[in-house]
Amino acid sequence: MKFLMNTGRTVNQGVTVENKGSVEYAREASTCFMHEFDMLELGVDDGDPVLVRGPVGEVVMRVKASVEVEIGTVFVPYGPYANHIVAADTHSTGMPDFKSHEVEIEPTDEEPKLVYELMEDLGGLAYER
Amino acid sequence: MTELLVKNAHVIDPLSGINGETMDIAIRDGKIVEEVSAAAEVIDARGMLTMPGGIDSHTHICGTKVNFGRYMSPEDMRAGRTPRRGPMHATSGYSVPTTYGNSYRYSVMGYTTLLEGAMAPLEARHTHEEFTYTPLQDTMANTLFDGNWSIMEAIRDGDVKRVAAIIAWTLSAVKGFGVKLTNPGGTEAWQWGKNVSCIRDPVPYFGVTPAEIIRSVIEANELLHLPHSVHLHCNNLGTPGNYTCTLGSLGLAPDLNPRRQTLYATHVQFHAYGGSGWKDFSSKSEPIANLVNMRPQVVIDMGQILFGRTTTMTADGPMEFNLYRLHHEKWSNHDVELETGSGIIPVIYRRKNLVNSVMWAIGLELALLTKSPWQCLLTTDNPNGAPFVRYPEIIGLLMSRRYRDAEFATIHPDTGSRVPLPAIDREMDWYEIAVMTRAGQARALGIQDLGKGHLAPGADADVAIYPIRIDEVDPSADYQKVIDGFSRTEYTIKRGRVVARRGECVVHGSNSTLWVRPKVSENYDMGKDPEFVEKFDRYYTVRMSNYPVQEQYLNRSRCIETETEL
Amino acid sequence: MNVKDAVCPFCGCLCDDIEVEIEGDRLVGVTNACELGATKFLGGERLKSPIRREGKAWKEISYDEAIRYAADMLLDAERPLLYGWSGTHGEAQCVGVHMAELVRGVIDNTSSVCHGPSVLAIQEVGHPGCTLGVVKNRADLLIYWGSNPIDAHPRHLSRYTCYAEGFFLENAFRDRKVVVVDVRKTQTANIADEFVRVRPGGDYAILSALRTIVRGKTDTIPRMVAGVTRDQLIRVADLCLNAKFGAVYFGLGLTMIPGKYKNIRNAIELVTELNRHTKFTISAMRGHYNVYGSNEVNTWMTGYPFAIDFSRGIAFYNPGETTAVDVLARKECDAALIVGSDPAAHFPRRCIEHLAEIPVVQLDPYPNATTAFCKVQIPVAVTGVDAEGTAYRMDGVPIRTRKVLSSDYLSDEEVLSRMYALMQEALKR
Repeated sequence: MKFLMNTGRTVNQGVTVENKGSVEYAREASTCFMHEFDMLELGVDDGDPVLVRGPVGEVVMRVKASVEVEIGTVFVPYGPYANHIVAADTHSTGMPDFKSHEVEIEPTDEEPKLVYELMEDLGGLAYER
Repeated sequence: MTELLVKNAHVIDPLSGINGETMDIAIRDGKIVEEVSAAAEVIDARGMLTMPGGIDSHTHICGTKVNFGRYMSPEDMRAGRTPRRGPMHATSGYSVPTTYGNSYRYSVMGYTTLLEGAMAPLEARHTHEEFTYTPLQDTMANTLFDGNWSIMEAIRDGDVKRVAAIIAWTLSAVKGFGVKLTNPGGTEAWQWGKNVSCIRDPVPYFGVTPAEIIRSVIEANELLHLPHSVHLHCNNLGTPGNYTCTLGSLGLAPDLNPRRQTLYATHVQFHAYGGSGWKDFSSKSEPIANLVNMRPQVVIDMGQILFGRTTTMTADGPMEFNLYRLHHEKWSNHDVELETGSGIIPVIYRRKNLVNSVMWAIGLELALLTKSPWQCLLTTDNPNGAPFVRYPEIIGLLMSRRYRDAEFATIHPDTGSRVPLPAIDREMDWYEIAVMTRAGQARALGIQDLGKGHLAPGADADVAIYPIRIDEVDPSADYQKVIDGFSRTEYTIKRGRVVARRGECVVHGSNSTLWVRPKVSENYDMGKDPEFVEKFDRYYTVRMSNYPVQEQYLNRSRCIETETEL
Repeated sequence: MNVKDAVCPFCGCLCDDIEVEIEGDRLVGVTNACELGATKFLGGERLKSPIRREGKAWKEISYDEAIRYAADMLLDAERPLLYGWSGTHGEAQCVGVHMAELVRGVIDNTSSVCHGPSVLAIQEVGHPGCTLGVVKNRADLLIYWGSNPIDAHPRHLSRYTCYAEGFFLENAFRDRKVVVVDVRKTQTANIADEFVRVRPGGDYAILSALRTIVRGKTDTIPRMVAGVTRDQLIRVADLCLNAKFGAVYFGLGLTMIPGKYKNIRNAIELVTELNRHTKFTISAMRGHYNVYGSNEVNTWMTGYPFAIDFSRGIAFYNPGETTAVDVLARKECDAALIVGSDPAAHFPRRCIEHLAEIPVVQLDPYPNATTAFCKVQIPVAVTGVDAEGTAYRMDGVPIRTRKVLSSDYLSDEEVLSRMYALMQEALKR
């Protein structure tokens, strides 16, 4: 299904932001908040993994029901999971389209990666795992 | 020990009573001395006009509002760029240059001491941070008290000593130098989107009038024996007919101090307008200058405008909004809780515009009609009237009737009927220019005893050597030589070191900050006053313990302690 | 021992009323801070010493070696990027600018992916703003637009706006009205008197509609604008016009959506228009505790708030070209110094892929996502905890953060000054 992906800050993301190696940070930043009706249509439950495909890549997140988001949109805390699929074009402003990416979401059996795994996928070397 | 000997200088030093003598200036360890050893480094200044370093007694160079002027104006930054070169860092900006830009350009013009005209106490730390990056001048800041709640309350209670105590506490806390009132009462009214029209108009809620604020703060200033007098930006800036308000404001000043003026009124050009609207806008420089001529307790500065692009910035928030409604340029405003405000808009002064032409004439008239140069100092209210790099043009205009006539021929043709300028013959001499650009400032700011503005033994060795042979140049005719000469020193000496030479700054430099700590008795220490402390805790958003500017922010701190009557 | 009035180095609120409890060399308690601030004060497991990547392994190295490596890296680079700066004190930022100038690098801060578009809008139309205390003491109308303070700036409401005691308000809580404009029904929306739910990307249209109503042209407004009814728009415009003092606080909900700075420009112009009727101000909800300080420092030293390119000796500014995301995405820089931020967590992947290809040195107390791309990471003291220095609150008020703990870690300023000294020395030779 197609969604408009929005990103933003959350308290939990903020609390864990200085400890990006933590499970808590990974859990928060890989959460894909979705309207319950969309979850029904997609056939996923709270905590199920979903594959989110954006213009430059794909990443696995876990879905979570939220009354805050509108049907047809998902909200992902600002962090490495969302950015894994965000395009770098800034339309000459310096600012990518962090809050308005069209994504394709489908259920998956894969598990979300840990932050260091994402980083290693992009060519880095984790310091601690 | 470092020694320097400037030989054969042609010296004008008004505070020492020297008017055009050829002499040597001996310098040791940053101070002027009687003589130096034969080992001293020698500079031959033969035939060059040599004066104490220039002092700007009202300029906007550092702090929140100045930096916002830069922040919002990339077009101005692009208008003046230089790369890193030798000890000089890169600079940007024309009307609001970066701190290094200000410092280098002032230094090249021979300026060694600058007074930032408006510092909001809550944001003082910012001003001091920028001072540190203004390395080639000594700096000080006028501190804003125009909309200070505690002061207005003390005035309402008729308690001038409390007013003084609040000023004393605040100056010590924020490391301020002088007391500034910008549109007194108006900046508080503006936090409701309102203004006060003139000095009898009460401030909303507080009920006090600008006249009461001006009078009480003058008295308080003198109770504290501050080096400088109250520094006033009158109400009603920039509106036709405002000269009556200005006359009323200047008339409030008693004569309380034998050593200097009791009231310094700044950028008076913007306050000397006649007419009932823009259509019959005219110059009222004459009544203002007449009043100043009769009142030794008043000193003014010009606030000259020059044609071209610049940026206006002032604590006078409501005025800037009015200006925005005239110009429709971008507008910034920044109100400061319990204290004051500010506004910024870019402007272009045009020769073809009648109002601008009249404004141009008024500034010059004020200088030419004020008999004593000690009472009317040269400023543009940088950058409001024009960027300071254009001061030499003003010197040229004041020294040459021919230059004024040539300029006058290019401005709006109706100007002549609205201004007295064409009838004024006066041409100022070198001595008068020296008074208007350094000696007068030193006396008005009360810093001559700190070794500023003169070259007598004991003074700070701040010296400007200009490549002008005053016995050969006729300023009346050769005004371009005057302008060129004052634009670029042969040598600028700061604290005994050559800091600029023929347009290049040659050292990194290190500024001193001058500030005032009035000594008050325990009873008048507002830091221990329960009511003051409680108010602070409840209505400021910064904790009282985090408010004072720490000593770390003062590069070469020069604290002036004053004995007070509290 | 308790330290009072400590300054919180988390978000742009820069709360300076924090009390921390110290036992020996440990910080054991935090009072008055929000959850975000308390966590930051209490800290986590810091890096013990500088580390250097060698092949597939990490090795501990000395500070001297790490600083030397960084200096050499910057000197060798043709087009170095010096990025971050929002999570450190102003004194360190100043050294950073001098370094960038010396090596003719590009220096940019996190505002380019935060409120950079707001800066661009301000450069077009200006900024009517004020300090937070003016709002606290006067505002009877608050508008949070595309911002969610309960999550991102948790004490903004209680310390500065809705719930704060105000001099001119009898009962601050009751006398203030709150409008929230957002695409999501956030926590903040739940406390609003009026929640305006905008269709994603519809903010520009809503702002234009409000400007139209304020100018008295209500008839021209269609029944629905970007998912919002005309009736609600009229109600909001009336709230604005009838307020004695209104304050707009906008967030990334306006800067990160299509239109970018044009949305902010429209919001500022609405506020400017409202000033013809009553008193109104607008301000950005700045994220990092000192991102605004980084803008200030850059501005007084170079003339521009962010995205400064010294490659031609002069300071050159062209957001979209000289901004960090663009410089990285174009694979232009050949070395990067990262201070006080974590681009690997916050930049699009293409940028991160380039970080993997160039030498990177990072100054940060903690291992973070960017660590994985570093050749060298240098741990530093945490400003506000074991280092002090200047920070600028979101409204421009500068506050000196306090050092409440002593530690052996060097501050950012100390590390950078040593680096800069080495670079100056090398260039003299």
